[in-house]
Amino acid sequence: MIAAAILLLALLLPSLPLGEWRAFLLDTAQFAFLTSALALAWDLLARSGQLSLAHGAFFGLGAYAAALSAPALGTLPALLAGGLVAALASFLLGLATLRLHGMYFAIATLAFSEVMRTLVLKAQFTGGSIGLPVQPAFSGAFPLGSYYLAVAVLALSAGVSLLLSRGRWHYAMAATRQGEAVARVLGVPVVRVKLLTFGLSAFLGGLVGGVYAMKTLFLSPYDAFGLGRAVEALVVPIFGGLYTTSGPLLGGLIIVGLETWLRLRIGEGYLVIYGLVLILAILFLPRGLVGLFRKGVGRA
Amino acid sequence: MLRVEGLSKRFGGIVAAYGVNLEVHPGEILGVIGPNGAGKSTLLNLLSGLLRPDAGRIEFLGEEITQAPPEVRTWKGLGRAFQIVQPFPEMSVWENLMVGALYGKPGTGLKQAQRVVEEVIALTGLAPKAQTPAGELTLLEDKRLELARALATRPKLLLLDEVMAGLRPAEALEAVELIRRIRASGVTVVFIEHLMPVVQALADRVVVMDYGQVIALGHYDEVAANPRVREAYLGRAR
Amino acid sequence: MELLLQTLINGVLAAGIYALVASGLALAVGVVGIVNFAHGEFTMLGAFIAYLLFVGSGLDPLVSLGLAALVLFLVGSLTYYGLIRPVLGAPELNQMLLTFGLSVALQNLALLLFGANTRVVSPPYQGSTIHLLGLSFGVVPFASFVLSVVLLGGLYWFLGRTRLGLAVRAVAQNRLAPGLLGIEKERIYLLAFGLSAALAGVAGVMLSVILYASPTVGFAYTLKAFAIIVMAGLGNLGGVVPAAVALALAEALVSTYLPGGGGWVEAVFFLVIFATLTWRSWRAA
Repeated sequence: MIAAAILLLALLLPSLPLGEWRAFLLDTAQFAFLTSALALAWDLLARSGQLSLAHGAFFGLGAYAAALSAPALGTLPALLAGGLVAALASFLLGLATLRLHGMYFAIATLAFSEVMRTLVLKAQFTGGSIGLPVQPAFSGAFPLGSYYLAVAVLALSAGVSLLLSRGRWHYAMAATRQGEAVARVLGVPVVRVKLLTFGLSAFLGGLVGGVYAMKTLFLSPYDAFGLGRAVEALVVPIFGGLYTTSGPLLGGLIIVGLETWLRLRIGEGYLVIYGLVLILAILFLPRGLVGLFRKGVGRA
Repeated sequence: MLRVEGLSKRFGGIVAAYGVNLEVHPGEILGVIGPNGAGKSTLLNLLSGLLRPDAGRIEFLGEEITQAPPEVRTWKGLGRAFQIVQPFPEMSVWENLMVGALYGKPGTGLKQAQRVVEEVIALTGLAPKAQTPAGELTLLEDKRLELARALATRPKLLLLDEVMAGLRPAEALEAVELIRRIRASGVTVVFIEHLMPVVQALADRVVVMDYGQVIALGHYDEVAANPRVREAYLGRAR
Repeated sequence: MELLLQTLINGVLAAGIYALVASGLALAVGVVGIVNFAHGEFTMLGAFIAYLLFVGSGLDPLVSLGLAALVLFLVGSLTYYGLIRPVLGAPELNQMLLTFGLSVALQNLALLLFGANTRVVSPPYQGSTIHLLGLSFGVVPFASFVLSVVLLGGLYWFLGRTRLGLAVRAVAQNRLAPGLLGIEKERIYLLAFGLSAALAGVAGVMLSVILYASPTVGFAYTLKAFAIIVMAGLGNLGGVVPAAVALALAEALVSTYLPGGGGWVEAVFFLVIFATLTWRSWRAA
C-alpha cells in the first residue's frame, strides 16, 4: 500500500506543477529514492541475520563499474555490470564471513569496505583520489533519464523486498536469522540462503551506486565508498522498521528530507542526524516507524 | 537403519566420545542413558551433523553421512529435537512448523507444507496455539513445538534430546504416549533421557554411556542389572 | 639496517598509544560487555580538549592530560548512565548499533562545531628530537610512549593489586559474580566505562601533539583498537600490549618499505582485522 503510493507519486512528480522549486525537489526526491533503495537492499541482507557495514562498498563498486563501463556498453548494460561486480564482491566476502555473527560480521564487513576504498584510491584506472568524471545516463538524451532510473531501481528493490517477505524465502531467511543451527537441522540450506541474499542485496546496492554515478556525474572514493553510505543504509531501515518493505521506503524519504533541511541550515555535520536518529530509534522505537502502526508481533 | 562405527570426538583434552559402535534397527525405540557428562548429547550432535567426528563412520539407510552437513542429513530423513528448546522467537507456532515442513524435504511446495503442518499440529495438540508467537509459550508447549518441528521434517529416524526434562509427571506421561504414537506412525526413535521410569516404559533397547564410551547395550532389565552400569550411576561420586 | 632499526623503533613508539586506546576498549568489552563503537570518538574528544586548552589558555598538553582524563571519565560515566545502561539487557546488536549511532553523532557534532580542519597542538618542544647511537626519535613520540607505559603499568597495578581492581576483574570474569550486589556491580560497570573513556581521552591528548585533532581522527582508532583486542583474544587484557606492538610494527614496516607507502597503511590494518576475524571463525569450527 505505502509502497505503491510512494512509487506512484515518484512517477507523477515530474509532471506536477512544482514551480520554481521543481529542479531542487526532483533532485532531492531522486537522492531520497536512491537512499531508500539502498536501505531496502541492506534490509534484505539483515533479514538473514547479517548486519552489514559493507553496503558503502557495494554502492561504490557498482558506481565505479558502471561509470567505467558505460562508454563501451551503454547505460543499461553498464548498470547491470555494476550490479554484477558488486554481487561478485559480496559473494567472496560472504564466503569469508559465513561463520561470523553479530558484531564480528559487522566489523569484518566494515574492514572489507575500507580495504576496497583504499584499492580504488590507489588504482590508476579509477582516477584515484582525483576522482572520475561520469557520462550522464543515455548520453544525456533525456533530461529526466537518471530520475526515472532511480525510480526504476527503487521499484525493483521494493518489488524484490516484497517478494521475499512471503513464501519460501521469507521462512528461510527468518529462520536463518533467528537460529542458524536449528534452521540447519530443520533442513534450511543456510549457506545458500546467506550467500544468495548477500549477492542479491549487493547487486541491488551496486545498481543504486550506478544510477547515483550517472546522476552526480562525478565520483570520488571518499564519496562513493564513504562510511556515510553504509550508515545511511542501516539507519534508514532501523528507523523505518526492520524486515519490512514500507519501513525503509518511508524511512528513506523522511530521513533524506530531514537531512536536506539540515544541510541547508547548518552545512557540514548534517550527518549528525543519522547518529541521533539511530540512538533514538534504538532507545524508543524498537520496531521502527511502521511498528507504531502495527499491533501484535510484526512479521517474523 | 543407522550404523555407527568407532565414532570419536575430543574437545581439547576431554574425550566426549570414544570408539562408539551402535546399530539402530528400523522401527525400534532406543534409549540412551548415562551420568551427566557421559557424552550423550555429543553423540546426538555427531549424529545430526552439528559436530564433525575426529574418527569413525556414520551410515544412515546404507549411505555414509559422516561428513554430511546437518541439512543434508535432515533431507535424508534424520530428524532432531533439541534439549534446550530453541523456537524461532519472532515466528508464530504455525510459522515455526512451516520452516520444518518446507525445508525438511527438498521440493516441498507451500500447499503440501501446510498440510504437513496441519497433521503435525493435530498430532501434538498444538492447534489452539497455532497463531501464538513462539516466544510466549509455556515450557510444555515449547517442548511440544520442538517435537512437532522435528516431525514436520518428516523424519524416518528421530533423535530426541531429553524432551521430558522439566515436565511434571502427568505431562511426561503424555509425552510418552506421544512418542509411542510417533513410533506407531513408522518413525524410528533414539532418545536421551534421565528419568528412568520413562526409559523403562518406552525403550525397546537401552544404550548406557560413560566417559564417552558405550558400556552396556540391551533390554532395560539386563542393562539395569549390569554391574558396570550400577557402578557408573552409584559407585562413584561425581 | 639503520632504516630497519629506525622503522622498528617508530613502530614500538606508536604502539604505546595503540595499547592505551585498546586497553580502554578491552575494559569496556571485558567488564561491561559492550563493544563501544564510539571509543575512538572519546579519543577525538581528548584531542580537542587538549587543543582548546592550548589555544585558549596556553595550557601545556602535559597538564591537559589530567584534565582530559577527568572530563572523559565524566563523559564516559554519563554515556553509561544515559545510553548504555538502558540497553544492557537488549540484544547485542542493539548495543552495537547504539554506540555506532553515538559515534556518528559525536563525529558530526565535532564537525559542526570545529569544521573538518586538522588542528595541531604545538608546544615549543614539539619538533625536538633525541639522537642516540646514530638513531633519532622525536621527543613527543618518545615521551608519549613512556607515559603510555606508565599509565598501563598503573592500570595493571590497579586491576591486579587493589581491592576495587580485583572486584572489576571479578565482574569481568563472571557477569553474575555471586556475592556482588546489583548496586556494586552497577558501580563497577560505571567505573570501568568511565576508565575506558578516560584512557581513550588521554591517548587523544597525545594524538593532538603527535598527529592532530580533527572530527574523524578517532574513528580509525576504534577499529585499530578493535583489531588489537581481537588479536589479543576478546576480554584478555594481558594480550593487548603484545598485539598492539605487533600491529604498530606491521604498520611501520608497511609505510617504510611498501612503495607508495603511507596510503596503504590503513588498508593493511583493515586487512589484518578482516583476516584475524575470519581466520578465527574458521579455526574455531
